Amino acid sequence: MNELWRRNIIRTLFVLFLQLILLKRVNLTLGDFNYVHLTIYAVIIALAPLKMPRALLIGLSFILGLTVDLFYDSLGVHAGAATFVAFIRHYVLILLMPAEGYKQAVLSPYWYGFSRFIMYMSLLLVIHLSVLYSLEAFSFVYFKEIILRTISSFMASLFLIMIGMLIFNPKY
Amino acid sequence: MRNLLYIIYRFSALVTFILLELLSVYLIINFNKSQGEIWSHSSNLLVEGVNQKVGLVEDFFTLKSKNDSLFRANAELLQTIINYRIFSDDKGGFQAYEQAISDSIPSYKLITAIVTSRTVNLRNNYITIDKGSAQGVKPGMGVITDNGVAGIVKSTTQKYASVILILNSQSRISCKVADKEYHGNLIWKSSDTRIMNLIDVPKHADINIGDRIVTSGYSISFPKSIPIGRITDYKIQGGVNSYNIEVTLDYDLSNVKHVYVVQFEDSEEKDNLLSSLNE
Repeated sequence: MNELWRRNIIRTLFVLFLQLILLKRVNLTLGDFNYVHLTIYAVIIALAPLKMPRALLIGLSFILGLTVDLFYDSLGVHAGAATFVAFIRHYVLILLMPAEGYKQAVLSPYWYGFSRFIMYMSLLLVIHLSVLYSLEAFSFVYFKEIILRTISSFMASLFLIMIGMLIFNPKY
Repeated sequence: MRNLLYIIYRFSALVTFILLELLSVYLIINFNKSQGEIWSHSSNLLVEGVNQKVGLVEDFFTLKSKNDSLFRANAELLQTIINYRIFSDDKGGFQAYEQAISDSIPSYKLITAIVTSRTVNLRNNYITIDKGSAQGVKPGMGVITDNGVAGIVKSTTQKYASVILILNSQSRISCKVADKEYHGNLIWKSSDTRIMNLIDVPKHADINIGDRIVTSGYSISFPKSIPIGRITDYKIQGGVNSYNIEVTLDYDLSNVKHVYVVQFEDSEEKDNLLSSLNE
């Protein structure tokens, strides 16, 4: 159990470091196409222990989002999106539940295979990004832009997350 | 107690989620300028949309009274302009005008009236207006619109008056070429409601196409400088000593609805003088 928490905390710090120090500075602009933003910290919420009480996960996710917000100068936007992902994770887990139920501590590709993890991560990431860009635009007037940003950022971010999974292949 | 705790435990996720999400939105709105603006703007869009719709309906019902008050305000402005033109000329400036008004020197007054019936497609065209002798309308008074001359009152009853339009073979309006002081009489010979003819302008006059034609102010009916139209064509007929000038009206008399009756306070004296000259 201690190992589980230790690993999660280390992962959180590592991903936050990547996100806030490196990925924030990555500028993937192709001419006028400025819609790709590498946003991977949803993986922290995705790989949080399955047994974690929902209210605690939601609360911690809010703090996580707030931390990201402090670096992105957008107080509340990431917090709102992260909170939403933490809330919706429960239902995504139910949706993707294997026949025998969840036996392991985390839903990682090591235990449940890459195809299920990609499905799980994609759902969470799409939800995360669409909520994030909706909150950022704060109006459905920019519907087209929100969709564009969500799709292009989703593909780039998922690619990055999968590379990370291949490298670390976390047990916990 | 156990049940209560269970319920709290059961819904803790949802409650935490809602509270934190609301907190995020609060933070977004309060600490991000653009989102704050969008929020206030979006809520305004919604509220303003409704307000505008209600306002449109309300406007429709107050349209008539607004129209009436604008009509009266317009009449007062026109009246001021007319009197200003007359009194400010010789002595100069606005002071002269104010002095004249405070000394109650006879000046022009406008009576607002609405056209109740009209003809414009006959050879002799008339309109009927909803003001009569009870309101001080008398035969011989001029009738103008916002844009220019309309006609002359022919006869009145208690509540109504009949007006000879300038689009009438009997109509003769004393006019001049603006700024040039050549004057003549405006008659209607054509069947076009926008084309008038100016006759009796001496042929030595220096006129050009595009010159403005205004009332001369020599008759008692109209004050001077009420606009009428522009010269669009002119020619000198053989054996006549004057031009035959074609004038295009600036305005359309076929859809005129609101008119002003020009009342000169001292008209009787001038009238008497003119009629004694004619004898």
